Amino acid sequence: MKVKVNAWTVPAFWSWDVENEDVCGICQVAYDACCPTCTVPGDGCPLIWGECSHVFHMHCLIKWLNAPNSQEQCPMDRTPWRTAAAQ
Amino acid sequence: MADKLLVPLASSKKRKSLNSLANQQTLDEFYNQPRGEAIQESNVARPLSPSIKKPKTSIESTHNIMSQSAGIANGSNGKLGFVTPATSSSDPSTAKVLSNNNLRAKAAPKKLVIKNFKVKPQLPPNYENETWGRLKRAVHAIHNHEKVPESLEMLYKSCENLCHHKMADRLYTRLREECANHVKEELDKLSSNQTTGIYFLEMVGQAWADYCNQMIMIRSIFLYLDRTYVLQSSGIFSLWDMGLELFREQLMSQTSLRDKIVGGCIDVITTERSGDTINSSLLQSLIRIFIDLSIYDVFEEPFLQKTRLFYRSEGEDLVHKRDMAEYLHHVDQRLKEEGIERINNYVDASSKPKLVKIVETEMLERHVATILEKGFQALLQEDRKDELALMYRLLSRVNALDKLRECMIAELKKTGSSIVNDQARDSTMVQSLLDYKLKIDAILAESFDHNQQFINSMRDGFESFINSRQNKPAELIAKFVDSKLRSGNKTATDEELESLLDRVLILFRFIHGKDVFEAFYKRDLAKRLLLGKSASIDAEKSMLSKLKTECGPGFTSKLEGMFKDIDISRDLMATFKNHKSYENTKDMQIYVNVLTQGFWPTYPPVEITLPSDMANAQEVFKNFYLSKHNGRRLMWQNNLGHCVVKASFPKGKKELLVSLFQTVVLLLFNDKQRDHLTYNEIKEMTNIGEFLLHFATTLIMVAKYTVHAEEKELVRTLQSLACGNARVLKKTPHGREVNPTDSFSYNEAFTASLYRLKINTIQLKETVEENTSTRERVFQDRQYQVDAAIVRIMKTRKTLSHNMLINELFEQLRFPVKATDIKKRIESLIDREYMERESEDSSSYRYLA
Repeated sequence: MKVKVNAWTVPAFWSWDVENEDVCGICQVAYDACCPTCTVPGDGCPLIWGECSHVFHMHCLIKWLNAPNSQEQCPMDRTPWRTAAAQ
Repeated sequence: MADKLLVPLASSKKRKSLNSLANQQTLDEFYNQPRGEAIQESNVARPLSPSIKKPKTSIESTHNIMSQSAGIANGSNGKLGFVTPATSSSDPSTAKVLSNNNLRAKAAPKKLVIKNFKVKPQLPPNYENETWGRLKRAVHAIHNHEKVPESLEMLYKSCENLCHHKMADRLYTRLREECANHVKEELDKLSSNQTTGIYFLEMVGQAWADYCNQMIMIRSIFLYLDRTYVLQSSGIFSLWDMGLELFREQLMSQTSLRDKIVGGCIDVITTERSGDTINSSLLQSLIRIFIDLSIYDVFEEPFLQKTRLFYRSEGEDLVHKRDMAEYLHHVDQRLKEEGIERINNYVDASSKPKLVKIVETEMLERHVATILEKGFQALLQEDRKDELALMYRLLSRVNALDKLRECMIAELKKTGSSIVNDQARDSTMVQSLLDYKLKIDAILAESFDHNQQFINSMRDGFESFINSRQNKPAELIAKFVDSKLRSGNKTATDEELESLLDRVLILFRFIHGKDVFEAFYKRDLAKRLLLGKSASIDAEKSMLSKLKTECGPGFTSKLEGMFKDIDISRDLMATFKNHKSYENTKDMQIYVNVLTQGFWPTYPPVEITLPSDMANAQEVFKNFYLSKHNGRRLMWQNNLGHCVVKASFPKGKKELLVSLFQTVVLLLFNDKQRDHLTYNEIKEMTNIGEFLLHFATTLIMVAKYTVHAEEKELVRTLQSLACGNARVLKKTPHGREVNPTDSFSYNEAFTASLYRLKINTIQLKETVEENTSTRERVFQDRQYQVDAAIVRIMKTRKTLSHNMLINELFEQLRFPVKATDIKKRIESLIDREYMERESEDSSSYRYLA
């Protein structure tokens, strides 16, 4: 018998490259969901990685950084926020 | 001669006027016409009579009186009674006037002096009595059906004269007396008559008809009296009314006669009710007597009483004896008979509501319970719309529609719950429900007049019985939709499918636990989309939009997300095919659906050792994807993978649609050196079966298979390849079961009539375990929702008693929950310190911030 695969279809789940089941430190919503203002996870509501290794929903972090008392610090460790370079 | 003409004319008139009694026009005709003719005729015999009549001078009246008295004299002597005034008035005085006329024409005009009488003219002393005598004789003759002995005109004149001489009141009294005697005589005759039944009634009818004719005749003769004296004096009946009055008095005083007539009439009617034909015109004329005499009550009361008795016994008899449909038709017929035919034929219209009411009460109202109990269920089951419509119509007459509705709800619930709760018929439940709904809808529309109350009750009924079994109907509805939307279901056209989905949605509307439906629908939709089994994307989208309108965008947002993922993946694959790295996977033709977690049902992670070229293809795609999307990971769902595989058998090439697992197993047999592989070898090389699929512990692959517990994925896969309908592999030893000791080889003798074979149906079938897990997930979600709702309520109320909390929860939650489950959730929240019990009142809770 000779068997040859002509075509195959397979699904794959994407998820953000963070620890599973973890939540955004600002909104306490799972990373794989979206920030409270968005409805659909995905490119519309991406994550943002800091050099300090903390990760947030981008929308959450921007809102935080725009707040006057944030002093542009990471809300987790109070070091100045620097977005990590793309991997 | 004139009177010879006059009498036949009058008598012919007499016959004609039978039917139009007391009709003024008739009377006028009667009087005027013959008189006109008489005058014309008498112009020959008495050429001058007009000139005598026209001028209203004393000559005329005198002359009249004279000729009248002459007439009387002659009349009393005449043997035949046809002596006319004309013959007696051809006396010299007329001749003189005649010659005068001639003279006037020839000779020169000469003055004619008319002098008043010196002596006032006087009536003969016994004029009144004599005149009355003549009139009385005439009346007698009329009463005795004899010829009137004198000219009617003369009689009329006599009456007129008596009136002129102020003798009207005595004339009236005498006439009345005369008539009264006659009536008494007549009725006495009837009273003493021994005949019974229809003959007697005929006699009565005849007597009345005669009496009426006689009264008309008498009235015509005494018309002058009727028109002057009667009209001018108050408190006196006109002659016609007097006749009625006399008859009435007599009839009322002779009770036995009256009862005999009434009883006779009722007997005849009863005969007709029993189905015989009767002389309805006789009956009509008899009943007209009562109506004309304004004593209709005398007839109506016993008649209605008898009617009531008749229908009471008939109702009680038939309602038990007859088939209900037959009974209803019978009642309808009876209503028609009483309400239309009887009224039209003889009974007075005023009795109609009473009669109809009696039939309604006796045949319907008293038996509403029996009718519904005995008839409704059968009629509904046999779908006899006409009879149901009839039942609806009849019961609406006696305001029993509420009872009919209650009965319908009970029946709905009974039939409905038997459909819903029969576990053996789960597979056909939704179809049965749809059929049943269709049937009930048709009945509501055609038989129950689109009655809104009934429609609402029907909805309540459906809602209650569909939810009488929790969750299962929702699940089955979802699966039903799946089966219709899945490819391979080509039986329905687009329109049919569309209307079917609409109908399913109506059932869905009744379901309380919509989350169960959603979970199952989602799972099935996922499979359809991922395995490419969806019959039509248009139908899918239309179903989605229906659900959206039904339950709001929140309900469908995840489902829409699934479609979006599929769309995005299509674009992504198009980009991938143009990408340089695609070359490396070309002979594999991988197609990936990249899914967003949260939209899709969760699947347990599955590991499998893929052949290197397949694993490579996945790696290539993964790198491509991650280069497009930073910061992401991809997790393959190999258990949902499916392949198109070309297999060449000695007896021909086949294209197989198989699952990824099946492919992996099949690919092992490409190695020529190993034509036999043991179970354990396969297990080792593929890694399948090391894990126990969370949701795949049992298998319902093809109905032929027995259901196994604890079955492993590898067993499933091998079974599908070696023991299913298309046996690509051979198993030794033979048998349905796959055991770890078995070994497999490829089936050289494999042949099939089709070129394309689907062996991956196994992926589409859901397992019991899968169902359970879906259900569990729903309950899990519900717990979270209950928790959230409790916290939400407590947060606003701060403190709240247990009962109040439960009540508010029931309002907020959109799925059925048991109070005991809620209690558990409250306990759990107390443990987690979301709230606490009040220290002094343990039945209240306090929210802890």
